Amino acid sequence: MTAGGEFSPKIVAFLCNWCSYAGADLAGISRIQYPPSIRVIRVPCSGRVDPFYILKALQSGADGVLISGCHPGDCHYLTGNYVARRRFAVLNDLLGFAGIDPGRVSFSWVSAAEGERFAEVVREVTEKVRLLGPNRKLLKEEVA
Amino acid sequence: MSREDQLRRRAKELLTKEGVVMVIGYRAGKRPGTATPAFVTRPEDADVLVFDDRCGTNLAAYLPRVKHRGKIAIVAKGCDSRSVVALLKEKQVDRGGLVILGVGCDGVKEQGRLSDSCTTCIHPNPVICDEMIGEKVAERTPAPDPLDDFERLSPDERWQALMTDVSRCIRCYACRQVCPNCYCPTCFVDASSPQWVGKTTAGSDNMMFHLMRAMHMAGRCVECGSCSRGCPMGIDLMKFNRRVAKVVKERFGAVAGLNPEELPALAAFDPSDKQEFIR
Repeated sequence: MTAGGEFSPKIVAFLCNWCSYAGADLAGISRIQYPPSIRVIRVPCSGRVDPFYILKALQSGADGVLISGCHPGDCHYLTGNYVARRRFAVLNDLLGFAGIDPGRVSFSWVSAAEGERFAEVVREVTEKVRLLGPNRKLLKEEVA
Repeated sequence: MSREDQLRRRAKELLTKEGVVMVIGYRAGKRPGTATPAFVTRPEDADVLVFDDRCGTNLAAYLPRVKHRGKIAIVAKGCDSRSVVALLKEKQVDRGGLVILGVGCDGVKEQGRLSDSCTTCIHPNPVICDEMIGEKVAERTPAPDPLDDFERLSPDERWQALMTDVSRCIRCYACRQVCPNCYCPTCFVDASSPQWVGKTTAGSDNMMFHLMRAMHMAGRCVECGSCSRGCPMGIDLMKFNRRVAKVVKERFGAVAGLNPEELPALAAFDPSDKQEFIR
Protein backbone atom coordinates (compact mmCIF):
# COMPACT_ATOMS: atom_id res chain seq x y z
CA MET A 1 0.00 0.00 0.00
CA THR A 2 1.41 3.35 -0.93
CA ALA A 3 -0.01 6.61 0.33
CA GLY A 4 1.37 9.91 -0.89
CA GLY A 5 4.39 8.24 -2.44
CA GLU A 6 5.61 6.73 0.79
CA PHE A 7 5.19 3.04 1.41
CA SER A 8 3.15 2.23 4.45
CA PRO A 9 3.09 -1.47 5.12
CA LYS A 10 0.08 -3.64 5.72
CA ILE A 11 0.74 -5.98 8.63
CA VAL A 12 -1.48 -8.80 9.82
CA ALA A 13 -1.19 -9.33 13.58
CA PHE A 14 -2.26 -12.55 15.24
CA LEU A 15 -2.75 -11.67 18.89
CA CYS A 16 -3.53 -14.11 21.64
CA ASN A 17 -6.77 -13.34 23.39
CA TRP A 18 -5.36 -13.51 26.90
CA CYS A 19 -2.23 -11.41 26.71
CA SER A 20 -1.30 -9.56 23.56
CA TYR A 21 -4.84 -8.69 22.55
CA ALA A 22 -5.41 -7.25 26.00
CA GLY A 23 -2.03 -5.53 25.71
CA ALA A 24 -3.17 -3.93 22.46
CA ASP A 25 -6.37 -2.92 24.18
CA LEU A 26 -4.41 -1.34 27.00
CA ALA A 27 -2.30 0.57 24.48
CA GLY A 28 -5.57 1.84 23.02
CA ILE A 29 -7.26 2.91 26.21
CA SER A 30 -4.03 4.49 27.40
CA ARG A 31 -3.97 6.51 24.15
CA ILE A 32 -0.48 5.35 23.30
CA GLN A 33 0.31 6.22 19.70
CA TYR A 34 1.61 3.66 17.22
CA PRO A 35 1.46 3.33 13.42
CA PRO A 36 -1.93 2.28 12.04
CA SER A 37 -0.28 -0.47 10.03
CA ILE A 38 -1.60 -3.55 11.77
CA ARG A 39 -4.79 -5.49 11.18
CA VAL A 40 -5.50 -7.50 14.28
CA ILE A 41 -6.82 -11.04 14.23
CA ARG A 42 -7.68 -12.32 17.67
CA VAL A 43 -6.79 -15.95 18.31
CA PRO A 44 -7.39 -17.98 21.47
CA CYS A 45 -3.69 -18.70 21.94
CA SER A 46 -0.44 -18.29 20.04
CA GLY A 47 -0.56 -22.08 19.88
CA ARG A 48 -3.64 -21.73 17.70
CA VAL A 49 -1.64 -20.02 14.98
CA ASP A 50 -1.06 -22.54 12.23
CA PRO A 51 2.08 -21.66 10.26
CA PHE A 52 -0.20 -21.76 7.27
CA TYR A 53 -2.04 -18.65 8.51
CA ILE A 54 1.23 -16.76 8.40
CA LEU A 55 2.09 -17.86 4.87
CA LYS A 56 -1.47 -17.29 3.74
CA ALA A 57 -1.35 -13.72 4.99
CA LEU A 58 1.79 -13.10 2.96
CA GLN A 59 0.26 -14.77 -0.07
CA SER A 60 -2.90 -12.69 0.24
CA GLY A 61 -1.14 -9.37 0.19
CA ALA A 62 0.18 -8.64 3.67
CA ASP A 63 3.61 -7.02 3.71
CA GLY A 64 4.37 -8.42 7.12
CA VAL A 65 2.97 -10.64 9.83
CA LEU A 66 3.22 -10.23 13.58
CA ILE A 67 2.42 -13.05 15.96
CA SER A 68 2.21 -12.20 19.60
CA GLY A 69 1.30 -14.26 22.64
CA CYS A 70 1.77 -14.57 26.38
CA HIS A 71 5.23 -14.65 27.85
CA PRO A 72 6.55 -18.18 28.37
CA GLY A 73 5.17 -19.50 31.62
CA ASP A 74 2.12 -17.23 31.47
CA CYS A 75 0.05 -19.09 28.89
CA HIS A 76 -3.64 -19.23 29.76
CA TYR A 77 -3.56 -22.83 28.59
CA LEU A 78 -0.28 -23.41 30.42
CA THR A 79 1.84 -24.70 27.56
CA GLY A 80 0.31 -23.37 24.34
CA ASN A 81 3.02 -20.82 23.74
CA TYR A 82 5.82 -23.29 24.47
CA VAL A 83 4.58 -25.59 21.74
CA ALA A 84 4.01 -22.62 19.45
CA ARG A 85 7.55 -21.44 20.07
CA ARG A 86 9.02 -24.64 18.59
CA ARG A 87 6.76 -24.41 15.60
CA PHE A 88 7.63 -20.75 15.02
CA ALA A 89 11.33 -21.48 15.37
CA VAL A 90 11.10 -24.00 12.52
CA LEU A 91 8.94 -21.73 10.38
CA ASN A 92 11.24 -18.79 10.96
CA ASP A 93 14.20 -20.85 9.85
CA LEU A 94 12.36 -22.30 6.87
CA LEU A 95 11.35 -18.83 5.65
CA GLY A 96 14.96 -17.67 5.89
CA PHE A 97 16.07 -20.81 4.06
CA ALA A 98 13.57 -20.16 1.26
CA GLY A 99 14.97 -16.64 0.93
CA ILE A 100 11.99 -14.77 2.33
CA ASP A 101 13.32 -11.74 4.21
CA PRO A 102 13.48 -12.63 7.90
CA GLY A 103 11.93 -9.28 8.87
CA ARG A 104 8.62 -10.07 7.19
CA VAL A 105 7.44 -12.30 9.98
CA SER A 106 7.95 -11.20 13.57
CA PHE A 107 7.21 -12.91 16.84
CA SER A 108 6.81 -11.30 20.23
CA TRP A 109 5.55 -11.93 23.73
CA VAL A 110 3.43 -9.11 25.12
CA SER A 111 1.44 -9.39 28.33
CA ALA A 112 -1.90 -7.77 29.11
CA ALA A 113 -0.09 -5.20 31.27
CA GLU A 114 2.36 -4.13 28.57
CA GLY A 115 0.48 -1.53 26.55
CA GLU A 116 3.58 0.54 25.97
CA ARG A 117 5.55 -2.54 24.97
CA PHE A 118 2.86 -3.49 22.47
CA ALA A 119 3.06 -0.05 20.87
CA GLU A 120 6.83 -0.35 20.77
CA VAL A 121 6.66 -3.76 19.09
CA VAL A 122 4.29 -2.44 16.44
CA ARG A 123 6.52 0.58 15.80
CA GLU A 124 9.53 -1.65 15.43
CA VAL A 125 7.83 -4.20 13.19
CA THR A 126 6.33 -1.49 11.01
CA GLU A 127 9.72 0.12 10.56
CA LYS A 128 11.35 -3.18 9.73
CA VAL A 129 8.74 -4.03 7.09
CA ARG A 130 8.77 -0.49 5.73
CA LEU A 131 12.50 -0.78 5.07
CA LEU A 132 11.98 -4.12 3.31
CA GLY A 133 9.38 -2.60 1.01
CA PRO A 134 6.27 -4.28 -0.37
CA ASN A 135 6.07 -8.05 -0.15
CA ARG A 136 6.57 -9.56 -3.59
CA LYS A 137 7.83 -13.03 -2.96
CA LEU A 138 4.92 -15.13 -1.79
CA LEU A 139 2.29 -12.78 -3.16
CA LYS A 140 -0.28 -14.37 -5.40
CA GLU A 141 -0.65 -11.94 -8.27
CA GLU A 142 -4.42 -12.12 -8.75
CA VAL A 143 -4.95 -11.10 -5.16
CA ALA A 144 -2.77 -8.01 -5.34
CA MET B 1 20.80 -69.87 2.73
CA SER B 2 20.68 -66.58 0.87
CA ARG B 3 18.96 -63.58 2.35
CA GLU B 4 16.13 -63.86 -0.13
CA ASP B 5 15.53 -67.55 0.67
CA GLN B 6 15.51 -66.73 4.35
CA LEU B 7 13.00 -63.93 3.75
CA ARG B 8 10.67 -66.16 1.76
CA ARG B 9 10.89 -68.98 4.28
CA ARG B 10 10.14 -66.64 7.19
CA ALA B 11 7.25 -65.06 5.30
CA LYS B 12 5.74 -68.51 4.73
CA GLU B 13 6.14 -69.44 8.37
CA LEU B 14 4.62 -66.19 9.56
CA LEU B 15 1.61 -66.59 7.27
CA THR B 16 0.98 -70.25 8.09
CA LYS B 17 1.89 -70.61 11.76
CA GLU B 18 2.22 -67.24 13.40
CA GLY B 19 -1.07 -65.52 12.75
CA VAL B 20 0.28 -62.92 10.33
CA VAL B 21 -2.30 -61.94 7.71
CA MET B 22 -0.04 -59.98 5.40
CA VAL B 23 3.65 -59.65 4.69
CA ILE B 24 4.61 -56.33 3.15
CA GLY B 25 7.78 -56.61 1.14
CA TYR B 26 9.08 -56.13 -2.38
CA ARG B 27 8.69 -58.04 -5.60
CA ALA B 28 10.48 -57.48 -8.90
CA GLY B 29 8.99 -54.63 -10.92
CA LYS B 30 7.76 -54.93 -14.49
CA ARG B 31 10.66 -52.93 -15.82
CA PRO B 32 14.12 -54.40 -15.30
CA GLY B 33 16.04 -52.87 -12.42
CA THR B 34 12.94 -51.91 -10.49
CA ALA B 35 11.08 -53.39 -7.55
CA THR B 36 7.59 -52.69 -6.39
CA PRO B 37 5.80 -53.26 -3.08
CA ALA B 38 4.34 -56.72 -2.60
CA PHE B 39 1.47 -57.53 -0.26
CA VAL B 40 1.65 -61.24 0.36
CA THR B 41 -1.37 -62.80 2.04
CA ARG B 42 -0.99 -66.46 0.97
CA PRO B 43 2.02 -68.56 1.92
CA GLU B 44 2.33 -69.91 -1.62
CA ASP B 45 2.87 -66.35 -2.89
CA ALA B 46 5.83 -65.72 -0.59
CA ASP B 47 8.25 -66.73 -3.33
CA VAL B 48 7.73 -63.42 -5.12
CA LEU B 49 9.54 -61.60 -2.33
CA VAL B 50 12.90 -60.05 -3.14
CA PHE B 51 15.25 -57.69 -1.43
CA ASP B 52 18.13 -55.85 -3.01
CA ASP B 53 19.22 -52.37 -4.02
CA ARG B 54 16.14 -51.79 -6.20
CA CYS B 55 13.88 -51.78 -3.17
CA GLY B 56 13.44 -48.09 -2.48
CA THR B 57 9.78 -47.54 -1.60
CA ASN B 58 9.30 -46.85 2.09
CA LEU B 59 6.96 -49.70 3.02
CA ALA B 60 5.96 -48.13 6.34
CA ALA B 61 3.70 -45.84 4.30
CA TYR B 62 1.28 -48.76 3.83
CA LEU B 63 0.96 -49.67 7.49
CA PRO B 64 -1.74 -47.16 8.47
CA ARG B 65 -3.80 -48.32 5.48
CA VAL B 66 -3.68 -52.07 6.18
CA LYS B 67 -3.37 -52.28 9.95
CA HIS B 68 -7.10 -52.99 10.41
CA ARG B 69 -6.65 -56.37 8.70
CA GLY B 70 -4.77 -57.92 11.58
CA LYS B 71 -1.17 -58.77 12.32
CA ILE B 72 1.15 -57.43 9.63
CA ALA B 73 4.77 -58.33 8.94
CA ILE B 74 6.87 -55.71 7.22
CA VAL B 75 10.28 -55.84 5.60
CA ALA B 76 12.18 -52.88 6.95
CA LYS B 77 15.55 -51.45 6.01
CA GLY B 78 16.99 -48.62 8.09
CA CYS B 79 14.72 -45.85 6.88
CA ASP B 80 11.55 -47.98 6.83
CA SER B 81 12.23 -49.00 10.42
CA ARG B 82 12.64 -45.36 11.42
CA SER B 83 9.33 -44.59 9.78
CA VAL B 84 7.77 -47.42 11.76
CA VAL B 85 9.14 -45.80 14.90
CA ALA B 86 7.68 -42.47 13.80
CA LEU B 87 4.29 -44.14 13.30
CA LEU B 88 4.51 -45.85 16.69
CA LYS B 89 5.30 -42.50 18.28
CA GLU B 90 2.25 -40.96 16.72
CA LYS B 91 0.12 -43.95 17.70
CA GLN B 92 -0.74 -44.79 14.13
CA VAL B 93 0.23 -48.43 14.45
CA ASP B 94 0.22 -50.86 17.32
CA ARG B 95 3.54 -52.53 18.10
CA GLY B 96 1.75 -55.74 19.05
CA GLY B 97 0.19 -55.98 15.60
CA LEU B 98 3.54 -55.77 13.84
CA VAL B 99 6.33 -58.15 12.99
CA ILE B 100 9.31 -56.17 11.77
CA LEU B 101 11.65 -58.15 9.53
CA GLY B 102 14.83 -56.10 9.53
CA VAL B 103 17.18 -56.02 6.56
CA GLY B 104 20.47 -54.22 6.22
CA CYS B 105 20.60 -51.87 3.24
CA ASP B 106 23.56 -50.84 1.14
CA GLY B 107 21.65 -47.97 -0.41
CA VAL B 108 18.96 -47.82 -3.04
CA LYS B 109 19.97 -47.57 -6.68
CA GLU B 110 18.06 -45.39 -9.08
CA GLN B 111 18.93 -46.07 -12.69
CA GLY B 112 22.18 -47.61 -11.58
CA ARG B 113 23.16 -44.71 -9.37
CA LEU B 114 22.98 -44.47 -5.57
CA SER B 115 19.84 -42.55 -4.67
CA ASP B 116 20.57 -39.03 -3.39
CA SER B 117 18.99 -39.55 0.01
CA CYS B 118 21.08 -42.69 0.53
CA THR B 119 24.36 -40.83 0.16
CA THR B 120 23.88 -39.23 3.57
CA CYS B 121 22.26 -42.24 5.25
CA ILE B 122 23.48 -42.90 8.78
CA HIS B 123 21.10 -45.74 9.61
CA PRO B 124 21.50 -48.48 6.98
CA ASN B 125 20.43 -51.06 9.57
CA PRO B 126 17.01 -51.16 11.19
CA VAL B 127 16.74 -49.22 14.44
CA ILE B 128 13.92 -51.47 15.59
CA CYS B 129 13.12 -55.03 14.50
CA ASP B 130 11.87 -58.36 15.72
CA GLU B 131 14.35 -60.38 13.73
CA MET B 132 17.07 -59.72 11.21
CA ILE B 133 16.87 -61.28 7.78
CA GLY B 134 20.49 -61.68 6.72
CA GLU B 135 23.35 -59.87 8.37
CA LYS B 136 23.65 -56.27 9.39
CA VAL B 137 25.57 -54.18 6.89
CA ALA B 138 28.58 -52.05 7.70
CA GLU B 139 27.96 -48.41 8.58
CA ARG B 140 28.85 -46.08 5.75
CA THR B 141 30.52 -42.72 5.95
CA PRO B 142 27.86 -40.23 4.91
CA ALA B 143 28.68 -37.85 2.08
CA PRO B 144 28.90 -34.15 2.97
CA ASP B 145 25.54 -32.45 3.46
CA PRO B 146 24.25 -31.59 -0.03
CA LEU B 147 22.61 -28.51 1.46
CA ASP B 148 25.96 -26.86 2.20
CA ASP B 149 26.37 -25.39 -1.28
CA PHE B 150 22.78 -24.28 -1.48
CA GLU B 151 22.91 -22.55 1.89
CA ARG B 152 25.88 -20.49 0.79
CA LEU B 153 23.74 -18.74 -1.83
CA SER B 154 22.20 -15.36 -1.06
CA PRO B 155 18.55 -15.31 0.09
CA ASP B 156 17.39 -14.02 -3.30
CA GLU B 157 19.34 -16.72 -5.13
CA ARG B 158 17.85 -19.35 -2.84
CA TRP B 159 14.36 -18.02 -3.46
CA GLN B 160 14.93 -18.05 -7.20
CA ALA B 161 16.37 -21.54 -7.19
CA LEU B 162 13.55 -22.97 -5.08
CA MET B 163 10.95 -21.14 -7.08
CA THR B 164 12.34 -22.51 -10.34
CA ASP B 165 12.30 -25.95 -8.77
CA VAL B 166 8.78 -25.90 -7.33
CA SER B 167 7.35 -24.18 -10.41
CA ARG B 168 7.67 -27.53 -12.13
CA CYS B 169 5.34 -29.11 -9.58
CA ILE B 170 2.17 -30.44 -11.18
CA ARG B 171 0.51 -31.01 -7.83
CA CYS B 172 0.03 -34.72 -8.33
CA TYR B 173 0.79 -35.23 -4.62
CA ALA B 174 2.87 -38.31 -5.33
CA CYS B 175 5.22 -37.03 -2.62
CA ARG B 176 2.38 -37.23 -0.15
CA GLN B 177 1.20 -40.64 -1.30
CA VAL B 178 4.57 -42.27 -0.82
CA CYS B 179 5.29 -40.58 2.51
CA PRO B 180 4.82 -42.66 5.67
CA ASN B 181 4.21 -39.45 7.60
CA CYS B 182 1.23 -38.50 5.45
CA TYR B 183 -1.62 -40.50 6.89
CA CYS B 184 -4.15 -37.72 7.60
CA PRO B 185 -7.64 -38.81 6.50
CA THR B 186 -8.06 -35.40 4.92
CA CYS B 187 -4.86 -33.75 3.79
CA PHE B 188 -4.66 -29.96 4.10
CA VAL B 189 -4.30 -29.74 0.33
CA ASP B 190 -7.56 -31.64 -0.21
CA ALA B 191 -9.62 -29.79 2.38
CA SER B 192 -12.14 -27.64 0.57
CA SER B 193 -13.95 -25.91 3.39
CA PRO B 194 -11.98 -23.86 4.05
CA GLN B 195 -9.79 -24.38 1.05
CA TRP B 196 -6.37 -23.98 2.56
CA VAL B 197 -4.10 -24.19 -0.43
CA GLY B 198 -4.67 -22.67 -3.82
CA LYS B 199 -5.14 -25.48 -6.33
CA THR B 200 -3.35 -23.79 -9.19
CA THR B 201 0.19 -24.56 -10.24
CA ALA B 202 1.12 -20.87 -10.02
CA GLY B 203 4.52 -20.38 -8.39
CA SER B 204 3.01 -18.88 -5.27
CA ASP B 205 0.53 -21.73 -4.72
CA ASN B 206 3.20 -24.33 -5.36
CA MET B 207 5.56 -22.67 -2.94
CA MET B 208 2.85 -22.53 -0.28
CA PHE B 209 2.26 -26.23 -0.72
CA HIS B 210 5.93 -27.10 -0.50
CA LEU B 211 6.61 -24.87 2.48
CA MET B 212 3.67 -26.33 4.36
CA ARG B 213 4.64 -29.84 3.41
CA ALA B 214 8.05 -29.11 4.87
CA MET B 215 6.49 -27.73 8.06
CA HIS B 216 4.49 -30.91 8.46
CA MET B 217 7.68 -32.93 8.13
CA ALA B 218 9.49 -31.03 10.87
CA GLY B 219 10.62 -33.43 13.58
CA ARG B 220 8.94 -36.34 11.79
CA CYS B 221 10.73 -36.88 8.49
CA VAL B 222 13.27 -39.71 8.57
CA GLU B 223 14.83 -38.58 5.28
CA CYS B 224 14.13 -41.81 3.41
CA GLY B 225 13.96 -39.85 0.16
CA SER B 226 10.76 -41.50 -1.07
CA CYS B 227 9.25 -38.12 -1.93
CA SER B 228 12.18 -37.12 -4.12
CA ARG B 229 12.25 -40.52 -5.81
CA GLY B 230 8.49 -40.46 -6.27
CA CYS B 231 8.36 -37.02 -7.85
CA PRO B 232 7.59 -37.35 -11.56
CA MET B 233 8.97 -33.88 -12.18
CA GLY B 234 12.27 -34.57 -10.44
CA ILE B 235 11.88 -31.83 -7.84
CA ASP B 236 14.43 -32.11 -5.07
CA LEU B 237 11.87 -32.26 -2.26
CA MET B 238 14.49 -33.51 0.17
CA LYS B 239 16.03 -30.05 0.17
CA PHE B 240 13.16 -28.78 2.32
CA ASN B 241 13.06 -31.94 4.44
CA ARG B 242 16.78 -31.88 5.13
CA ARG B 243 16.63 -28.29 6.25
CA VAL B 244 13.78 -28.80 8.71
CA ALA B 245 15.40 -31.97 10.04
CA LYS B 246 18.59 -30.01 10.51
CA VAL B 247 16.99 -27.14 12.40
CA VAL B 248 15.01 -29.53 14.60
CA LYS B 249 18.21 -31.34 15.47
CA GLU B 250 20.17 -28.17 16.12
CA ARG B 251 17.52 -26.44 18.20
CA PHE B 252 15.79 -29.26 20.00
CA GLY B 253 18.38 -32.03 19.80
CA ALA B 254 15.77 -34.33 18.30
CA VAL B 255 16.17 -36.83 15.47
CA ALA B 256 13.03 -38.38 14.03
CA GLY B 257 12.33 -42.09 14.10
CA LEU B 258 14.81 -43.32 16.69
CA ASN B 259 12.99 -43.57 19.99
CA PRO B 260 9.33 -44.70 20.08
CA GLU B 261 8.98 -43.46 23.67
CA GLU B 262 9.80 -39.87 22.77
CA LEU B 263 7.19 -37.37 21.57
CA PRO B 264 7.69 -35.92 18.08
CA ALA B 265 9.84 -32.80 18.47
CA LEU B 266 7.12 -30.34 17.55
CA ALA B 267 4.54 -31.95 19.82
CA ALA B 268 6.83 -31.51 22.78
CA PHE B 269 8.64 -28.54 24.27
CA ASP B 270 11.30 -27.58 26.71
CA PRO B 271 10.78 -24.41 28.76
CA SER B 272 14.41 -23.55 28.05
CA ASP B 273 14.10 -23.72 24.25
CA LYS B 274 16.04 -20.90 22.60
CA GLN B 275 13.91 -17.94 21.58
CA GLU B 276 16.40 -15.43 20.19
CA PHE B 277 14.06 -14.73 17.25
CA ILE B 278 11.17 -13.68 19.48
CA ARG B 279 11.04 -10.16 20.75
